[in-house]
Amino acid sequence: MALSATVRAELRDIVGPANVHDAEGDLVAYARDATPLFTHRPDAVAFPADTAEVAAVLALATRHGVPVVPRGAGSNLCAATVPLRGGIVLVLTRLNAILEISADELLARVQPGVSSAVLADAVAAHGLLWAPDPGSRTVATVGGTIATCAGGLRGLKYGVTRNYVLGLEAVLPTGEVIRTGGRLWKDVAGYDLTRLLTGSEGTLAVITEATVALLPAPASANTGVAYFPSLAEAGEAVARVIRAGVVPATLEFLDRACIDAVEDFAHLGLRTDAGALLLFGDDGPPDLVATHLDRIGAACVAAGAVEVTTAREVAQAEALLAARRCALPALSRRGGVTILEDATVPRPRIAEMVDRIDAIAARHGVAIATFGHAGDGNLHPTCVLDSSDDTDAVRRAEAAFADVFAAALDLGGTITGEHGVGAAKLPFLAARLGDDQLALLRRIKTAFDPAGILNPGKLGS
Amino acid sequence: MTGDVFDPGQLSRCISCGFCLPACPTYAMTGDEASSPRGRITLMRALQDGTLPPDDPTLAEQSSFCLGCRACEPVCPAGVQYGSLLEQWRVHQWRGRRRPPLARALTLVAGQRWLLRLLGLVRGAARGPAAPSPTTAGPAAAPPTTAAEPAAAESGAGEPAGQLMLGCFERALYPAVSRAARALDPALAVPSAQGCCGALHAHNGDLAGGERLARRLGEELPGTIVTTSGGCAAHLASVLGPRRVRELSTWLAGRPPGTELRVAGRRARVTLQDSCHLRNGLGVFAEPRALLRQVADYVELPSAATCCGAAGTYSLLRPNDSRRILDAKLDEIEAAGVDLVVAVNPGCLRQLRTGLRRRRSAVRAVHLAELLAEATAPAPPA
Repeated sequence: MALSATVRAELRDIVGPANVHDAEGDLVAYARDATPLFTHRPDAVAFPADTAEVAAVLALATRHGVPVVPRGAGSNLCAATVPLRGGIVLVLTRLNAILEISADELLARVQPGVSSAVLADAVAAHGLLWAPDPGSRTVATVGGTIATCAGGLRGLKYGVTRNYVLGLEAVLPTGEVIRTGGRLWKDVAGYDLTRLLTGSEGTLAVITEATVALLPAPASANTGVAYFPSLAEAGEAVARVIRAGVVPATLEFLDRACIDAVEDFAHLGLRTDAGALLLFGDDGPPDLVATHLDRIGAACVAAGAVEVTTAREVAQAEALLAARRCALPALSRRGGVTILEDATVPRPRIAEMVDRIDAIAARHGVAIATFGHAGDGNLHPTCVLDSSDDTDAVRRAEAAFADVFAAALDLGGTITGEHGVGAAKLPFLAARLGDDQLALLRRIKTAFDPAGILNPGKLGS
Repeated sequence: MTGDVFDPGQLSRCISCGFCLPACPTYAMTGDEASSPRGRITLMRALQDGTLPPDDPTLAEQSSFCLGCRACEPVCPAGVQYGSLLEQWRVHQWRGRRRPPLARALTLVAGQRWLLRLLGLVRGAARGPAAPSPTTAGPAAAPPTTAAEPAAAESGAGEPAGQLMLGCFERALYPAVSRAARALDPALAVPSAQGCCGALHAHNGDLAGGERLARRLGEELPGTIVTTSGGCAAHLASVLGPRRVRELSTWLAGRPPGTELRVAGRRARVTLQDSCHLRNGLGVFAEPRALLRQVADYVELPSAATCCGAAGTYSLLRPNDSRRILDAKLDEIEAAGVDLVVAVNPGCLRQLRTGLRRRRSAVRAVHLAELLAEATAPAPPA
């Protein structure tokens, strides 16, 4: 849709003319996020400075029925910030202040445009830990991390973003500003709207401030690597680790194709002759970490690991974790387009799921490499194609992923563990939720957003 | 369909993950996708496939607003060669009369070999304490030196003698830097008959000219080219191959250290501003720091690896943006409590020196060669 002259003029009045970009080139730059195969141009891009401006823009949009898509750094992997129906992309990077860090209360108040890594560094200076740890932590904003309920590498021991959001300030599509939750760990006054907005993917309200829970930073951490002949043994090792009474902070796996790609990029001396790699780690008092790493190592050996090593120094441990975080982009060295999914299954079914993925890939004639979070059953099967121009290959990849989602549901899993639904997985949502629940989602969406202007074509649509 | 502006293989490498965003100084300034490396690649693709017309104003603005610092390259897990893509982009954007007049003038001047030679002699870059090599003493019209002469000698490090590149910018503004480099390694040959390396041209919309000049300089300076300019080193390495080129700090690495550098009766406190292309293009950043630690107390700036805003011709073409970047850098330098800030590229040296003088700061900006030469020179009697 095109914006009327009235809407354009009012938008400029609200945020200031310099903070509305609507040249063709600007619109092209905001037509996509980190998700391949989804593009649509907005009609304008607005950069509000504060909550009041966000509220005024949303009220304007509701009045005129203009779609609004809130956006942080655009690093999501489900096309959650692609403006499918045009309208206004509302970029929140100017709201980038850390308002408060309270070591006494173990919390921080933060604006949505701060990156997750910047917040983590700031609280680390106070001896505190911001636990959510998505692979894109250096890029992703806290607002986006909350809006997608991002997971990451610490899910098993620490949980995901929703476990750390105490309260939100958010603007409803109709322009009202609400404050949910607050500085309290216990607060059952009303429906838990904080949790509802966490993971709502910018379809219910625009988050303008968050109060987040912090933890005391662990005294030490260490990381190790175990190599296995195949993913089956690695899956067995995960089961043995849990049975040994250890809940590791990190338990990540890479298959052979991913090991190759990461080694190509990071040159860490990883063994590229192994069928699977398990990256494990724990944090806490040094004695406990050493004990836990020994137990994890022993469990890996018992499950058939061909080699187990632990990092000798902090820098080496950090390099291993950094390498795991870049598994996806490193895979892109294999081709121009990487289609990444995050089907998730109960932990004991990982090896079985990987077998099914391999069979599906063979059946559709596509190459799928798989890495992921072994501790929480969250897999990242990734299909690498030469080019999105090869429509036949794209079609085969999409057909393969439809089968992958069906397989995950069959094993008691879900279509997305942490990336979100966005536009990319909306067609599969009914299979996961059922018609009744999907209808309820739509009624909730309407209660928040009667005009249907906030991120239309995604969750709740 | 424009189609042929970019190497399609290079352009398709980016998967738009956004890992480059936090490394980009212009994204840090604006928070705007269009001024991030990922956004700029989206724009390049739109130019390549005809989605945007060749004269689109956002294309013009963003190709010029980019510093070209290449800080996005080391953090890119997909291995996108952004610097090369930007050079190709500017060939298109700055074609013909669209090239900024100042960039046109500068590249024209730097392409004048006779002028550079004259500058070298008049400003004294080509003269120095070292024993004159046969070529430096020769008349201005002397033919280019050949591999047989100076390369046969051995330097202190047991390598064939290097050929000191004088640099067009340094010959005009900082001849003392070249003289200091010669004092540090008297075995360096210094042919006066040498042109510009072409980095200026490659970064300012004349990629073909930049490559031609680099190849010509490669012929004029046979063997290992030693340069005091990180930017020239990266450009030469991209054309001639990394084995042909050594930036001064890597050339001097491993030699016996000079004496301690003292300021006001104590060991000097120094910091380093990286050369973007030296660090991001060639991966050289440990070497200059190691040399500095040998002769002074070294303090690392939080933003040492981030562009100072000089960025080749950027400080001249976009003075306001350049100044915004520099001001934050100068605040940091002044807060660091150092005596000296060290540059490894003449453009950075000029940028820092100008900025510090404007503030009447007590901190001095020097080139690494000058600092090391000072530390090596016999101490004055107490």
